Amino acid sequence: MHASSAPREPPLKDRMKPAPPERELSREEVARYSRHLLLPEVGQGGQKALKAASVLIVGAGGLGSPAAMYLAAAGVGKIGIADADVVDLTNLQRQLLHATTDIGRPKTDSARDTIGGINPHVIVRPIESRLDSGNALEILSPYDVIIDGSDNFPTRYLLNDACVILGKPNIYGSVFRFEGQVSVFYPKAGGPCYRCLYPAPPPPGLVPSCAEGGVLGVLPGIIGSLQALEAIKIVIGRGDALTGKLLLFDALGTKFRELTLKKDPSCPACGDNPTIRTLIDYEDFCGVPHGTGGTGDQAEITVEELKRRLDGGEEIFLLDVREPLEYGICNIGGHLIPPGELAMRITELDPAREIVVYCKTGIRSARAIETLRQKGFQKLRNLTGGIDAWADRIDHTMARY
Amino acid sequence: MIRVTLPYHLRTLAGTGAEVTVDVDGPVTRASVLDALETAYPMLRGTIRDHDTKERRPFLRFFVCGEDVSLASPEDPLPEEIASGREPFMVIGAIAGG
Repeated sequence: MHASSAPREPPLKDRMKPAPPERELSREEVARYSRHLLLPEVGQGGQKALKAASVLIVGAGGLGSPAAMYLAAAGVGKIGIADADVVDLTNLQRQLLHATTDIGRPKTDSARDTIGGINPHVIVRPIESRLDSGNALEILSPYDVIIDGSDNFPTRYLLNDACVILGKPNIYGSVFRFEGQVSVFYPKAGGPCYRCLYPAPPPPGLVPSCAEGGVLGVLPGIIGSLQALEAIKIVIGRGDALTGKLLLFDALGTKFRELTLKKDPSCPACGDNPTIRTLIDYEDFCGVPHGTGGTGDQAEITVEELKRRLDGGEEIFLLDVREPLEYGICNIGGHLIPPGELAMRITELDPAREIVVYCKTGIRSARAIETLRQKGFQKLRNLTGGIDAWADRIDHTMARY
Repeated sequence: MIRVTLPYHLRTLAGTGAEVTVDVDGPVTRASVLDALETAYPMLRGTIRDHDTKERRPFLRFFVCGEDVSLASPEDPLPEEIASGREPFMVIGAIAGG
C-alpha cells in the first residue's frame, strides 16, 4: 500500500499543515538536516512534518536502540521511550542506546542521554512504567506513531489492541537468532493488524526468547532501522509502507522476502465485528503467570531451598532442560536433556525419585514438567527463576548469559 | 519433490535445517503436503495442526509464492511452483524477541 494514498487517513504531514512558527526550522536545523532537505521526497515539508511528529518506542532494547537513534537523528520532534528495565551487561552486545558505564541505570535514563547527545532538538519523554492494560491507552494517546520494540508476546498483543482502539499505526518488528520480521499494522488505513496475522500466541516456552535462544547482535540493528524507516515514511507521507506486508529477513543467508498479508474479516480486534473494545489481561491471554518464572500450579522450589537440601545431603535428581550450548556456559551438575529430546529420552529418568527440573528462567522447565506429568511422573518440582536465580542468589561466581 | 520451510522451534523438534523436502503422491494441496511432512517427521504431528481437528495452530501461517494461504481450504490445489519445488511451502511462526 502506498503510504501517501492511504484510503482512510491522510498522511500525518498533511494533517499538520501549516507548520506553526515553532515548527519552522532554525538555521542550525537547516544545516543539520541538509541531506534530507536536498531530497525532494523529504524537503522542507517533510522535515517540518518530522519536527511536528511524535513517536513512541516501546522497548529500549535491541530494536528500540537503532529506531530511537535514527529517529532522533532524523529530527522527529518528540520521542517517547518506554522501558521498565535497567541496563544489564548482556544487553550491550546489541542495545546501542546503552554503554558499559550505564550498567545498572534505568534504560530510559541512558536512552534519554544518548538521544540528547545525538540531537538536542528532540524532546525525549522517558516512560519507566511497565505498560499494562491499565495505562497503555493513556501512554500511547499523545503519539502519532507507535514502534513495537518489545520482547514478549503479552506486550505485543497489548500494543496491537491499543493501537487498533486508538487508530494509530503500529510498526512491528521482532527478532530471534538470525531471523527478523517487520510489518506495519494499521487497520485505520485499511491494513491488517497483528491479530490478523497471529490470532493467538504460542504456549509459553514453546518459542524460545532471545534470552534463551540467542540473537545475533547486528540483527535487531537491521530490523530496528527498518522500523525507523517505516515510521519516517508514514510521517512524511512518502514511499510504500509495509502495510499489508510481512518482510522476513534471514541474516545467515542475507535474504529478504516480502509476503502479502490479508486482513482477517473475523479478527476480534479489527475485523467486521470486533469484540475487543477494551484492553484485556494480556498475561492471562498469553498463558503467562503474573510475576513468576513458572507456569502456575506446579510445585515450585526456590534456589535457597534447593541449596539447603543439597547441602543436607538429600538425594535430589537435577534435570537440566536447556541446550548443550547453554550447559557449556554454566551448570549446576544437572542431567542434561534438551527439551526437544525429552520425550525420546524419558527412560533416562526414574519416576520414583524426586526430580527438580530447571532451565534458564523457569519457563522451559515448566513445560518439561507438563510433558513428564503426562507420562506419569509425579515427584517433580520446578526451580523458580531457573539457573538465573541460582547465579543471582546462590553462586555469584557463576557465568551469566 | 516439495520444499517446506519450518520455523526454528519445529526445526529443533524435527532435528532438521530450515528447509526439508517431501514427496506427495496425488494432488498437491496444503493437506497432502502437511500429511507427507508429518509422515516423514512424526514428531511434528500436532505441532502445526491440531491432532484431532487438523486446524492450523494460530501462531503459525502458511505462505505460498508470497501469498498467505492460511485461510484457504486445505484441499485447494497448490500452484505448480510448489509442486515442482521451485518455490517452498513456507510455515512461518510468531517470534517475539526485541
